[in-house]
Amino acid sequence: MSGNSKNSDYVAPPPGLINISPALLCRALVLVLLLLLSVSTLRAEPLNILTYEESPYALMVGKTQKGLLVDMLAELFSRTSLRYKLRFIPLKRAIITVERKPGYCVLPIVRSQEREANFQWISPMLVSRYGLFSQEKRSIPLVTLNDARPYKIGSFLGSGIGEYLLDLGFKVELTSLSALNLHKLKRGRFELWAADLISAREMMRKQGIKFGRPELVFYTSIRAMACYRGMPAEQLSELQNALLSMYQDGFMKALYLEYGVDM
Amino acid sequence: MVSLSLRFMVLLLFTMLAGVSAQGAALQKHMAEKWAADEFQPSTLTVNEQMQEMNWFIKASEPYRGMQIRVVSERITTHWYEASVLAKAFFEITGIHVVHELTGEDDVIKKLSAQILTGQNIYDAYINDSDLIGTHFRSDAVVALSDFIKAKGADVTLPSLDLQDFIGLKFTTGPDGKLYQLPDQQFANLYWYRHDWFNRKDFKKRFKSRYGYELGVPQNWQAYEDIAEFFSKDIKEIDGQRVYGHMDYAKTDPSLGWRMSDAWFSMAGVGDRGLPNGLPVDEWGIKVEQCRPVGASVQRGGALNSPAAVYAVDKFKEWLTKYAPKQASELNFTQAGQWPGKGIIAQQIFWYTAFVADLTKPGLAVMNSDGTPKWRIAPSPVGKYWQSGMKSGYQDAGSWTLLKNTPLKRQQAAWLYAQFVVSKTVSLKKTLVGLTPIRLSDIESDVMSERAPYLGGLVEFYRSRGRDVWTPTGTNVPDYPGLAGYWWQYISQIIEGKVSTQSGLDNFAAAVDRHLARLGESAPGKCAPKLNPLSKRDFWLKKSGSPKAVINESPAGKTLPYQEAVNVWK
Repeated sequence: MSGNSKNSDYVAPPPGLINISPALLCRALVLVLLLLLSVSTLRAEPLNILTYEESPYALMVGKTQKGLLVDMLAELFSRTSLRYKLRFIPLKRAIITVERKPGYCVLPIVRSQEREANFQWISPMLVSRYGLFSQEKRSIPLVTLNDARPYKIGSFLGSGIGEYLLDLGFKVELTSLSALNLHKLKRGRFELWAADLISAREMMRKQGIKFGRPELVFYTSIRAMACYRGMPAEQLSELQNALLSMYQDGFMKALYLEYGVDM
Repeated sequence: MVSLSLRFMVLLLFTMLAGVSAQGAALQKHMAEKWAADEFQPSTLTVNEQMQEMNWFIKASEPYRGMQIRVVSERITTHWYEASVLAKAFFEITGIHVVHELTGEDDVIKKLSAQILTGQNIYDAYINDSDLIGTHFRSDAVVALSDFIKAKGADVTLPSLDLQDFIGLKFTTGPDGKLYQLPDQQFANLYWYRHDWFNRKDFKKRFKSRYGYELGVPQNWQAYEDIAEFFSKDIKEIDGQRVYGHMDYAKTDPSLGWRMSDAWFSMAGVGDRGLPNGLPVDEWGIKVEQCRPVGASVQRGGALNSPAAVYAVDKFKEWLTKYAPKQASELNFTQAGQWPGKGIIAQQIFWYTAFVADLTKPGLAVMNSDGTPKWRIAPSPVGKYWQSGMKSGYQDAGSWTLLKNTPLKRQQAAWLYAQFVVSKTVSLKKTLVGLTPIRLSDIESDVMSERAPYLGGLVEFYRSRGRDVWTPTGTNVPDYPGLAGYWWQYISQIIEGKVSTQSGLDNFAAAVDRHLARLGESAPGKCAPKLNPLSKRDFWLKKSGSPKAVINESPAGKTLPYQEAVNVWK
């Protein structure tokens, strides 16, 4: 519409002001409100945290999520203004999802130099020791990791530790699920099983399999929460500061003790 | 497993014999003799002297027998030897089981930081690059070894350790005069080139006719660029194979940052004169007043976004695009390290001598049939902002580091292992395996003279003053773990073309300034950062020294014959 309309209540604005009709103004206001609403919705959008079953860190008991990391996450986010949604999916898929999708994080994964540039990191969430277990009735003497070179070692995809051993030239067989390795070792499909000590202990207890103490505890990893590379710096810093405070006020030590894990 | 592991059996044996100490000591002595004869040869010590050292270790380790300790280092040949061979020998001789873990250098730093942050004793000792010396002396988290060996570590300090024999102590000593780390291995970043190709008469003639001077070891970046162009664009093929006049790596990865912070900026001449690092502005572009960092940006007196820094990054990017193999931009430090061995690279502006052991393997395309290499290492060429009296390149000094939050008994046991792997008994053999020398006595030994022709110039370098001029990151950098990540994150944006070099470096310098400010606020102290006020760039650029004003003219290319180039170190 151009010019004045006789039937309109419209009063021309003084010269110098922008000429906007009330209807247009209303529409603009609605638009602004919608925009503000969508921004606040975006802000309130929970972070999607992906994890995988690894007792005692994270497990599903019926429909309930339990474990050390589940409790740690609850505390972590309670110390921030952020919300989150925790889902269980296989590790490899979780890592690929986080590499591609904004608003996603995965934990726990090994923080390594090779992975450093692919994610933003909230770290350290877990310090894990890895051991080489042999069959119950077979002793494989190991003083150094190099002593394991003649043997086939089982590990699982995406764990980081299997990849580490492969990189060093060891013979490694990777499975998609860590729990499968217990049976493989029992059946002699490989001679040594490389696993995180805490979860190995839990798996052996649950499956009623005893391999005893590891032949060698050969590696330590820092496991962390890896988030989408483009995660906003404010979110990252809020989470990192919250994690730091959990170490400083003794929360982490108490949590580890509750789960029988020695810090 | 139910049956007994080797470790358990040996420990049981040690325990059983503890009550019969004479037999226990006899078993250990026997083990020591076996290792000395079978493995620890050659040595600068006589067998008797070696056994004196070993007997001391046997005696000093008594209170720690049966302990398992855990140490960590990066993954290079030297540390693989320690983790696989020396840790085993130490166990059999002392009864202390050392798990020596190997991981990426960036991981070592992350783990060390995590131990400081969480208070959890993740490792009993670290072999950590001396680049962290500026962090360590300010942090109050690291044991000052010079104090330790006089007090809590006195009983476990090897009488024949001979600290003065270590060539890298100046890199691991803080401005407070205290020794914070003990060098375990050292390697330098030197110019690497195909000596055989450079000596071909046809190539020499062609190069001279095109560029007007001799094909030889480049002394400046212009000559390096000319040689890169010559092999990549003019020669192109040798014996039917595509060849390149330049090799590098640029994958977005922590190691991209090292390329710049380790050496590229120092060779370009970003910093001030001074050794081991420029003062008051170092090669990271950080300016200090006394020991206090006051800024990295030119606006605060630093040089991280100075014309010299822009020149350094521009040349890196230009040469990578024009003269390196296409794959180079997708490679990291480890992957790129293998390329010179393929026999298609004519020169590399700097190359980590930690790879010498890998590049002297018989049968490689870069080795002669008599076991001598076809390549040589020489001083790296320098950029147009470089001036005499400045550091000329980077040297890595992986060094034993004890953290204060490790329980004392574990510190002491770890300190025994640390000294064992650098002791004169084993260090010459270790040097021959990994080629990362730390002791003057090893470097000057007859054995090293015999090996020299087979090592492409490594021995000559370590016998020269070059070993003092190629230096690690220094004490201007107050938080290496916190600042190192900025390098690869900001430089990669420039390499990927997301921002111009100047604006990428402006962002980088501003981020470092902010980090320094936060550090100063969170941990104030005598040497904590305190930023200079912002000034106009010209205010600082017009003063003498770094940050240096722009130099528009390029010096003419200059080369030297190999022997003359090497003599520059003398």
